[in-house]
Amino acid sequence: MTNSSSLERHAAGPGFFLMIVALVLPAFCWAQTSGEQLFQASCSACHSIGGGRRVGPDLDGVVERRSEAWLGQFIKSSQSLVKSGDAEAVAVFEEFSSMVMPDFPLPDEEIAELLVYIGAQGSNVPEVVAANVAEETQAATPVSADHVLKGLELFQGSTRFSNGGPGCNACHHVKNDAVIGGGILARELTTVFSRMGGDGVGAILGQAPFPVMQAAYKNQPLTEDEIAYLVAFLQSADEQHLFQQPRDYGFGLFASGALGAGVMYLFFAIIWRGRKRGSVNQEIYDRQPPSHN
Amino acid sequence: MDIRSQISMVFHLDKCIGCHTCSVACKNIWTDRKGAEYQWWNNVETKPGTGYPGKWEDQDIYKGGWEKKSNGAGNGESGDIKLKGAGKRKGLGNIFHNPNLPVIDDYYEPFTYKYLDLIESPAGDDQPTARPVSLITGKHIDIKMGPNWDDDLGGSPDYARNDPNLKNLTPAEREAMFQLEKMAFFYLPRICNHCLNPGCVASCPSGALYKRGEDGIVLVNQEVCRGWRMCVTACPYKKTYYNWHTGKSEKCILCFPRIEAGLAPACMHSCVGRIRYLGVVLYDADKIQDVASAPEDELVNRHMDIMLDPNDPEVIEAAKQNGVADSTIRSAQASPIYKFVKEWGMALPLHSEFRTLPMLFYVPPLLPVMASLSRANNAEQAEKLGAKTKFWSDDWLYDTSTEELFGTIDQARFPLQYMANLFSAGDTDMVRERLMKLMAVRIHRRHVTVGDVSKEKADGALHEAGLTAEMADAIYYLTALAKFDDRFVIPAAHREQAIEMMEFTGDKKGNTGFGFKEGTAQRGL
Repeated sequence: MTNSSSLERHAAGPGFFLMIVALVLPAFCWAQTSGEQLFQASCSACHSIGGGRRVGPDLDGVVERRSEAWLGQFIKSSQSLVKSGDAEAVAVFEEFSSMVMPDFPLPDEEIAELLVYIGAQGSNVPEVVAANVAEETQAATPVSADHVLKGLELFQGSTRFSNGGPGCNACHHVKNDAVIGGGILARELTTVFSRMGGDGVGAILGQAPFPVMQAAYKNQPLTEDEIAYLVAFLQSADEQHLFQQPRDYGFGLFASGALGAGVMYLFFAIIWRGRKRGSVNQEIYDRQPPSHN
Repeated sequence: MDIRSQISMVFHLDKCIGCHTCSVACKNIWTDRKGAEYQWWNNVETKPGTGYPGKWEDQDIYKGGWEKKSNGAGNGESGDIKLKGAGKRKGLGNIFHNPNLPVIDDYYEPFTYKYLDLIESPAGDDQPTARPVSLITGKHIDIKMGPNWDDDLGGSPDYARNDPNLKNLTPAEREAMFQLEKMAFFYLPRICNHCLNPGCVASCPSGALYKRGEDGIVLVNQEVCRGWRMCVTACPYKKTYYNWHTGKSEKCILCFPRIEAGLAPACMHSCVGRIRYLGVVLYDADKIQDVASAPEDELVNRHMDIMLDPNDPEVIEAAKQNGVADSTIRSAQASPIYKFVKEWGMALPLHSEFRTLPMLFYVPPLLPVMASLSRANNAEQAEKLGAKTKFWSDDWLYDTSTEELFGTIDQARFPLQYMANLFSAGDTDMVRERLMKLMAVRIHRRHVTVGDVSKEKADGALHEAGLTAEMADAIYYLTALAKFDDRFVIPAAHREQAIEMMEFTGDKKGNTGFGFKEGTAQRGL
């Protein structure tokens, strides 16, 4: 009690006003930086501004092409816009191989800041460079077997991520002979490379736009090398997926489990065949009439 | 010689009235807790009966105690013994499933009644009743069993006739025990025997059970116990219990906090019939293995021999060298246990064939009151009464006079074999000897107080039983007149020495006394 009251007395001094100023000041700067922060955190994995197509369209000049209201709706929930039959939204959705853009339920002020930032950035980048970048991303470069192997190990979790993030196959599956049944909690990634391209995959791995993935890797991000290995693995898995025939255990898995359990029960029944069964008083109990509840 | 001291007990069954005061005293102090409701560290059984838990004496069911390997049977000294249902290899094999444990229904499902319903029920057409509820599930139950359900032969076809001790009796002997006019029973109070060769201690995979060095009390360290329950199987007397709430095993602690303070254990303190005696005895720990693996017919006598004469200078010297305190030796010299078991030879261990060397001894009951049966010629009487009048057609004479002294012991309503199965591994001579002593003391005291028995007859009886008049008076005193301090000779605990081994008492000197209490108050004893 004495401690807190002395704190209050100090706070009433001249230092208190300094403190107020220090607290309020950053709020004025916020408007300028938060658009960029938002873009980096939520958009940059799939979109560039003047950097060409990635997973999603280049956003250079998008604020001129579309109305602010339409963009706001699309950011908040692209799928509801698509389902409502909006022609522009459907066109974009189909152009980018029906990839669903995750919902970003941001407040209107933040969306406005984001759009201001996108509008301001667009004119800064020369178009020529943007075109070159776009071509590069589309070209699939061959990958080294070593990288593929490392990527496979990371994917399966047999090698841990250096920052301790969870292995990919906890949630994702890839159809590949080397992979034993991955998770079904998130999207199956066999053809993700052709859908998103190397940069897109890499960008998602570096800065995931999906809430669950974001939470999973928030404090334990993947390193550059790890991303490169995983992209290499996903690329090779994509290229070879037609020739892969991972074994389908199907009913056999269940049957062998049941058989194993049966064998164990039999084994236990034999070792403990002389065990004490039930109560020595069971005969007496059985004779006693139950009360009528 | 490795002389150690052991707190030992004698229960005088001839005096037990079966009031269960001991059980209630124990329950109120130690087992009135969640998870321990079903545990009766002290219980009183009616014999013949199946006991608690049901048929605990039948080790074909519960696999308790030690068994001697058949190949070592002839060797005597070297025949090794193994735990019947536990031990290293069996324990490891069964560590995740202990196959011979008693289940709660072997004990009984503990219950209480909803007494509050009697006074708090709303007004209605019917009288409220206090329904029984399980103390395990909290739900209404039908009570099916209690801790002393076989009390006084209640339901004797289920309990008395299933007594495992009837196994060596002839069908005729068995049948005779349950004839309506001949039926008899006695009480058998049981607590942990604090054995010299405890199966529970040997079976524990965690090493949680131990036998205290200073007085031989067997305890479970609750910090170390991991609830494997091997001790529950290994104890042939079923006197370790598993607490389902704490997940640890518990057992009778012989009220060691009371003993250390010089008080008798609660069960003994409260005993209405004053049947319980407690004292310290000196024994030779080097002989435990030999004695425990002795052939069955020598077991009881060798068990008695392991206890040494506390007045023997050699024994005293060896005890002192082993660190036994002088006060403990003096206490052993005054021990009522040594008198009953060794000097007078009146007490026997319960089920010595389990080979745990129990240190609780029983004076067998001289029941029922003796009388001799003889043939009488009733012909004359019958003739006088005539054909129409009812008269007894049998010609047995039930003679309660003291003319025939020991002739009736063999014709007791309890076959000697039954007593022998309980107390002497089947040896009827040993039981007969003890019963004769009990009988001789009665005859002697009848001569002294009533005078209808001649001195020659009384002395003859004493002589035949191997007693002198002085011994008989001493037995009479300790049996009938003994005061509290005669029945319980408790050695000083020397806690101060134990504490000095662990910490330096100078640290506290000058720091305690009048002042303010700081920190938590701890019970200092």
